[in-house]
Amino acid sequence: MAHTQELRTLIARELPNLDLVLAWTGGFDPLSSTPLFITTEADLDRLAVGPMHVQNLAAYLPSLKGRKVGIVTRGCDSRTITELLQENLINRDEVVIFGIGCTGAVNIRKVRTAVNGAPVTDVEIGDDVLTVTTGEETHALRLQDVLMDKCYTCAGQAPRMHDHMVSERSGCLATGETPPSSLDLLEGMDARERFAFWEGHMDRCIRCYACRNACPLCVCKDSCVAQSRDPHWVDQSDTPREKLMFQAIHALHTAGRCTECGECERACPMGIPILAMKQALNRRIKHLFDYEAGMDQESTPPLFMFRQQEETIKERDAR
Amino acid sequence: MSTARFLKARDIAPWLEELGREYTVLAPTRHGDTVVFREFEPERGIELDRLSTTPAKKALLPPCETLFEYATTKTDTPPYRTSIELRPTLPEGKILLFGTRPCDARAMQIFDRVYDGEQVKDPYYTARRNAATIVTLACSGQAGTCFCDRVGGSPVDATGSDVLLTPLKAGYVAEALTEKGMELMRDTAFMKADGLRQEALNVRNRILEEVPERTSFLDMERNLLSLFGDLGFWDKTAESCLSCGACTYLCPTCYCFNITDEPHGDSGKRIRTWDNCMSSQFTLEGSGHNPRPTKAHRMRNRIGHKFSYYPQLHDKTLACVGCGRCISNCPVSFDIRNAVACAIQHAAANAQEHAHD
Amino acid sequence: MPVLEGKELRIVGFLCNWCSYGGADTAGVGRFAQPTDLRIIKLPCTGRVNPLFVVRAFLNGADGVLVSGCHPGDCHYTAGNFYARRRLEILRELLDVMGIQQERFHYTWVSASEGQKWKQVVSDFTARIHDLGPAAAFSGCPAVPIDMDETGIKAAG
Ligand code: SF4
Ligand code: SF4
Ligand code: SF4
Ligand code: SF4
Repeated sequence: MAHTQELRTLIARELPNLDLVLAWTGGFDPLSSTPLFITTEADLDRLAVGPMHVQNLAAYLPSLKGRKVGIVTRGCDSRTITELLQENLINRDEVVIFGIGCTGAVNIRKVRTAVNGAPVTDVEIGDDVLTVTTGEETHALRLQDVLMDKCYTCAGQAPRMHDHMVSERSGCLATGETPPSSLDLLEGMDARERFAFWEGHMDRCIRCYACRNACPLCVCKDSCVAQSRDPHWVDQSDTPREKLMFQAIHALHTAGRCTECGECERACPMGIPILAMKQALNRRIKHLFDYEAGMDQESTPPLFMFRQQEETIKERDAR
Repeated sequence: MSTARFLKARDIAPWLEELGREYTVLAPTRHGDTVVFREFEPERGIELDRLSTTPAKKALLPPCETLFEYATTKTDTPPYRTSIELRPTLPEGKILLFGTRPCDARAMQIFDRVYDGEQVKDPYYTARRNAATIVTLACSGQAGTCFCDRVGGSPVDATGSDVLLTPLKAGYVAEALTEKGMELMRDTAFMKADGLRQEALNVRNRILEEVPERTSFLDMERNLLSLFGDLGFWDKTAESCLSCGACTYLCPTCYCFNITDEPHGDSGKRIRTWDNCMSSQFTLEGSGHNPRPTKAHRMRNRIGHKFSYYPQLHDKTLACVGCGRCISNCPVSFDIRNAVACAIQHAAANAQEHAHD
Repeated sequence: MPVLEGKELRIVGFLCNWCSYGGADTAGVGRFAQPTDLRIIKLPCTGRVNPLFVVRAFLNGADGVLVSGCHPGDCHYTAGNFYARRRLEILRELLDVMGIQQERFHYTWVSASEGQKWKQVVSDFTARIHDLGPAAAFSGCPAVPIDMDETGIKAAG
C-alpha cells in the first residue's frame, strides 16, 4: 500500500529525534489490531494502517508526557489531542503528529456479530464491501453498515493539525444512510423501558473498567472515584445499580470534554452500548452551548465556564 | 465407566428445565452480542456453538459473594452501648454447570489447590465445589485464539469434569467420569449408548489430530523466574496494556479477590468480590506505597503467576488453561502467547550470555 | 394519587447554606404548612452539588430530587450557582437517557427571605412527584437502606 509506505518513510526520517512513535499493527486475527510502539527502523516493517486499525492512540499520550512522542493520527484522534492540549494534559512541543486521511473505521464487534462469532480466517476490504471469510463460509457485509458510530458524524477525515501529512486520500466508507445507533433505539423508548434497557445491559458488566482505562480523557484512572472507599461513591456489590452508577460517573466526568471517539464502547468486552450516554450529553451540550469538544484549542470547555445570562437555559417552575 | 447415554440436541433444553427443580443450572446463553454463563431459563436458550465470553468460574467463585450480613444496634439511654449481630451466609443447594469447555473445567482444579487445599479450606468455595456437577462439552476444534494444547490441556480433555459430552451428528454422547456424573446420568431418560463409546472416542481422536504441533509453555517456571529482575523486558512487553481488568475477569483461572464491608445505615454485609492484579490498586498499601507501581510490574505478575510461581508451588500445573479469552477480549489485543514465548526466548538468551561471561 | 394518599415518597433536597436553607428556615419560622416528604441536605453552595449526588440519590431509591440555591447573581461565593446551572442542565439529559424521568428532578433559586416561595416550591414539587408515583427500582437490588425486617436479622438486645 502506497500510503503505508509513505508513512513509513516519514516516520523513519523523524525517528532519530523521537523517543517512540505510536502506530498500529495487525493483531491475533485478520479483524484485530494492536498498538505498535516504534522505537527502531526495524519496527516499521510491522506498521499497518487501515479501517481495521481502530485504537485511539492518543489515549497513551498523557502517560507519556515528558517524552518526545510521534503519533499517527486520523481526523477523530486529532480531536482527542486538541482536547488534551486544551486541558494542559500534554505539551504540543513534545508531540509530533503524523497525519493520515481516514476513510472510516470498522466497528469490529458489529462484524463479529454479523458472522455469528465464528473464527475469522480472512478479511478483504473492497470499495464498499467487507468480505469476511470464516473457514468455509464467506460473508459480504456492506461497509456502510459496520462502521464505528463516530464515522457517521465525522467532523473531518484529516487531522485538524499535523507536523507531517501523508498525501490526501480520497473516499469515505460512510456513504448513504446511517444505521440506527443505540441512542436512536433509546429515543424510541419511554423512561421505564430505558431503565429496563440499562438494567438488562449492566447485568453483564464485569466491572473491568476497560471503558474507563481506554478513555483518553479519564486521566485519573489510578485514583478513580469508582474504586475509592472514602468517599464511597460506588459499592462493590455486583448489581446493575452500582455498575450503572459508574457509567453515570464516567459520562459526567467527561461531559463537555468527550470527543465521542468511541473507545469506551469499543473496549468493553461485554459489548455494552455505553457510548449512548455520552452521545446524549454531547447532543445536549451542542444544543445549549453550541460546543463540540476537541475542535478548537483556544476555546474553554463549556462546564469550565459560564455566562451570567444563559440565553438557552430557561427557568422552570416546580409544578 | 459404566454410564454412557445419547443426548439428542433438542432434548437438552427440556432436560435442563427439569433439572432446574433440583439444581441451580448454569449454562452459556446469549446476552446481547456476548455469551455468558448464567442461570438457565428456557426462553434464554442455550448457546453451545462458540466459546462463551465469560468463563464458568462464577459457579464456584461468584463475582460477588456475601460472607456474612450484620446489623448494629445502639441503646438509646446511657451508657449507649452498641451491639452487633452477625449472620453467616453459606451457599446452599446443588449446582449443575452445563456446557463448560474442557479449558473451563480444567481451571476448576487450579482453584481446588488454592481454596480446597491441605492447609486452607475456604468454606464458601468448598460448599459450592462439593455441590457442583460439571458437564463439559468437548470442543469440535480450536479457535484462532485457543492454545489449550500448549499449557497441558486439549480440546477434548476431561480433567475436572464429571460428565464429558462428545458431539456426534444429531446430539452428544455423554460419558460419566465421576460418582457425581454417574448419579446425574443414571436418573435420565436418555437412551443408553454404550455402543457409541467407540464412535465418540474416534471423534475425539480426529479432533486431536487437528491440533497443530506447537511449542509448549510447560516446564518454563525456572526459566521465567530468571527474568524477574529484567524490568526493561516487562516494560516493553506491557507498553500497550491499559491496566484494565478485562483479561483477568474473563480468565477462567484468575481467582484473586477483595473483601469489603458495604454498610447501609445500621446494617450491611461483608462481601468478597473479584479483584485483578492488572489494576494499580491491587497492591496499593495503606501507607500509599505501591510495590507494583507500573503496568510492567503488574504484567510481570500476571504472566509470572500463571507460568512460573503457581506451577512451582503446585506440581508444575500452569495457572493458564489456554482458552484465549484474554487475547480476544483485550481492548488492545494483547497476546499472552507472544508475551510468554518472547519471555522464554529472552530468558534463554540471557542465560546464554551469562554462560559466555 | 389515591393509592399514595397519606403515604410519603422519598424526596431529597440539596440546599445551599446561604439562601435556600435560610428560605426553608423562614418558611418554618413563619409556620407555613408544607408537605413533609422532603429530606434536606445542607451544602455550602449549589456549586458544591456534584450532579452525581443527584444520580446517586436516584439510584439509591429517591423518587424526586430538588436542588435549590441563591438567585443567579446573588451567590455567596459569586459564581457557584452559575456553574451549577450549567451542570444541572446537562444532568437532566443524563437522567433522561438513563430512564429516570426528568420531571423527578428540579433545580430552582430561593433566597433567605422567600419563605412563601419556598413553601410553594416544596408543595408543587411534592405534588408533582406524587403524580409520578414511586420511581422505578432495579429488581434484585432494593432501595437502601435495607429494611431490617427484610434481612431477617434480629437486633441483639
Ligand atoms: S471516571 Fe472520573 S474519576 Fe474515574 S478515571 Fe474517569 S474521569 Fe477520573
Ligand atoms: S467517554 Fe468514550 S467516546 Fe468519550 S472521549 Fe472517553 S472513550 Fe471517547
Ligand atoms: S468495559 Fe464494559 S464490562 Fe467493563 S466495566 Fe466498562 S461497561 Fe462494564
Ligand atoms: S485486557 Fe489487555 S489492556 Fe486490559 S489489562 Fe489485560 S492486557 Fe492490559
